[in-house]
Amino acid sequence: MQATESVKVPDGKLVRVAVTYDDEIDDVAITGDFFLQPPEALADLEAAIEGHSADVEAATLVEAIEQVEAELIGFDAFDLAQVTVEAVE
Amino acid sequence: MTVRLITEGEYDEAMHHALDEVLLSRVDAGEIEPTVRFWYRTGPAVPLGRFQAYEDEVATDYIEAEAIDVIRRITGGGAMFAEPGDIITYSMYLPADMVPRDVRESYEVLDEWVIDGLHRLSFDAFHEPLNDISHEDGKIGGSAQLRADDAVLHHTTMSYSVDIARMLKALRIGKEKVSDKAVKSAEKRVARITDYVPDSRDAVIDSLIEALDAEYGTTTGTFEQETLDRAEELAESKFQTDDWNKRL
Repeated sequence: MQATESVKVPDGKLVRVAVTYDDEIDDVAITGDFFLQPPEALADLEAAIEGHSADVEAATLVEAIEQVEAELIGFDAFDLAQVTVEAVE
Repeated sequence: MTVRLITEGEYDEAMHHALDEVLLSRVDAGEIEPTVRFWYRTGPAVPLGRFQAYEDEVATDYIEAEAIDVIRRITGGGAMFAEPGDIITYSMYLPADMVPRDVRESYEVLDEWVIDGLHRLSFDAFHEPLNDISHEDGKIGGSAQLRADDAVLHHTTMSYSVDIARMLKALRIGKEKVSDKAVKSAEKRVARITDYVPDSRDAVIDSLIEALDAEYGTTTGTFEQETLDRAEELAESKFQTDDWNKRL
């Protein structure tokens, strides 16, 4: 299945995730008007979410996202985890 | 530390973004001095944020019919609509030690001279976190940064007299199904410098340059041939390709 969900972070940026999933989250594409340092870490953020169960809890995703060495600007790990969970719900 | 100011050259959108990448990398490598340049465009363009999805942001039919260049930036942030003479864009390429490490603080500090330059025209602009330059009636412009190891690119686009009707046709602002908050944010009024002050675009740029000189001290420079050569190559191999511009 495929689903897309967006969040405009209050006082922050727009983050959109497009996910392909069945029992597991197979593929994630993150887009939006946020900032990320280094920009190459986008693929690492996506990889941190991929492979989790489709009924994963946001807290588990937050932990995985925080493992990525990157500075998220205009959103945070919780925003990204939350919008992903909403997409697969 | 003084900055070298470059106000020459009219280029297409791809070349401008290639210049950004090359100049950042050359300041990062310590090959050239801290540099600030104003952009002079040759045609209408949409500079797209690095992480934005092409199809989500631009109205493709209009873009193609009007021959508008859509070029993905190396910086994050949002899409803009720019036409020669309607927009003021500049880029700063500074060694990291000239820029606060804290991102939020650095946007504010690097916007200070611009706010000063607009105040000199009795235009009441202010910095609005994270990265906007605003007037009480709306957003005038926005900045975006990319940090290399030892250098920072900070570039800003401000609306001098943007054609808002055309902008709304080119960009898919508020047309997507997103949260109410996002739509509200996208529709937040665009304020233009010409709505408030009578000065020509050149006069506004002159005022900005005076403020830049007051803040940092400036020397007038030109692009090195190597910078131009490398940027031309990069414009062709990267910024003119769908591979880069439509990658998301």
